[in-house]
Amino acid sequence: MDNFFLLLGMALFTLVLLCLYRGVFGPGVLNRMAGICAIGTKTLVILLLMGFIYNRVEMFIDISMVYAFLNFVGTITAAKYLEIKGEA
Amino acid sequence: MSVQHMISIPFILGGLFFFIAATVGLLRFPDFFCRLHATGKGDTMAVLLSLVGLSIYEGFSLTSLKIIFIAVFMFLAQPTSTHAISRAALRCGLQPWTREKG
Amino acid sequence: MTRVTDDIIIRAVARILIPFIQLYALYVIMHGHHSPGGGFQGGVIMGASFILYLLTHGLEEAKTRMSEIRAGVFSSFGLLVYSGIGLLCLILGSNYLDYGKLSTVLKVIPAQARSLGILGVEIGVGIAVMAVMFSIFFDISTGGILPEDEEDLGARDG
Repeated sequence: MDNFFLLLGMALFTLVLLCLYRGVFGPGVLNRMAGICAIGTKTLVILLLMGFIYNRVEMFIDISMVYAFLNFVGTITAAKYLEIKGEA
Repeated sequence: MSVQHMISIPFILGGLFFFIAATVGLLRFPDFFCRLHATGKGDTMAVLLSLVGLSIYEGFSLTSLKIIFIAVFMFLAQPTSTHAISRAALRCGLQPWTREKG
Repeated sequence: MTRVTDDIIIRAVARILIPFIQLYALYVIMHGHHSPGGGFQGGVIMGASFILYLLTHGLEEAKTRMSEIRAGVFSSFGLLVYSGIGLLCLILGSNYLDYGKLSTVLKVIPAQARSLGILGVEIGVGIAVMAVMFSIFFDISTGGILPEDEEDLGARDG
């Protein structure tokens, strides 16, 4: 089962790299934000999988939850900033 | 491998499928709103399925309860943040893509 | 950044989620001993919840929950808790922040006194970090100029 989680984590890591293309080259700020937001959700699952691989789920789950909270707050903040300022 | 693990595997693989679909949508769709359409729904479903699968794998404990809590949180937060970004884009004056304009 | 967002979806979701985020922040502060986290991390999450409130509900309503003066008082109070526990250890005849001697005041065994001392210090750090996080965001987002000051300045210029 550990190998299954490892393969899953590697697959998600590849997807994160693909999303990073949109985060780096995506035309405009908004496309970059969409890419970063997609990376955040994948990272959350990768953190949990790391917890299962290292047998320390009760530790990694807290980090994962904080990541989810701060991702949400950050996205709302950036959206409000862009809404007021207009697209740069 | 117990029955519990057997049940959890389809959930996690389903989550992986939705992650792949969302990423392909993010890369291939023609404009910002279409890309957000793919990631907003696809990632929500994927996170939900993967977290439910992982909590089934873990069994009944405080940890699995927390995983379910994250799933509920993401189910509320992910559509909201998608809505916030798309609203900001519309306020910025970004025109939605149509086939006629090319 | 300090205006009320006129979108009811964001406001409603923030109103539902903020209490859970704050509860989780308290959990992180309390469980600093045997899971990742502690005073600083819990304080950051608590501060993020107040920032989310300020973003979604606007400056006027946020000032009734956490004003600039209250943020200043809380940050000083957190520092007072931290240094007060440290000085109490010093007064009782051991090193600064050496919690073992607290057992004579708390009437428990030294090991438990150390645990309680660390918990008290982390609560102090958490309060201070929460208030400072909020105050930094408050200062940056308003640019140091509050709406009522802006009216005053406008009147003077005109």
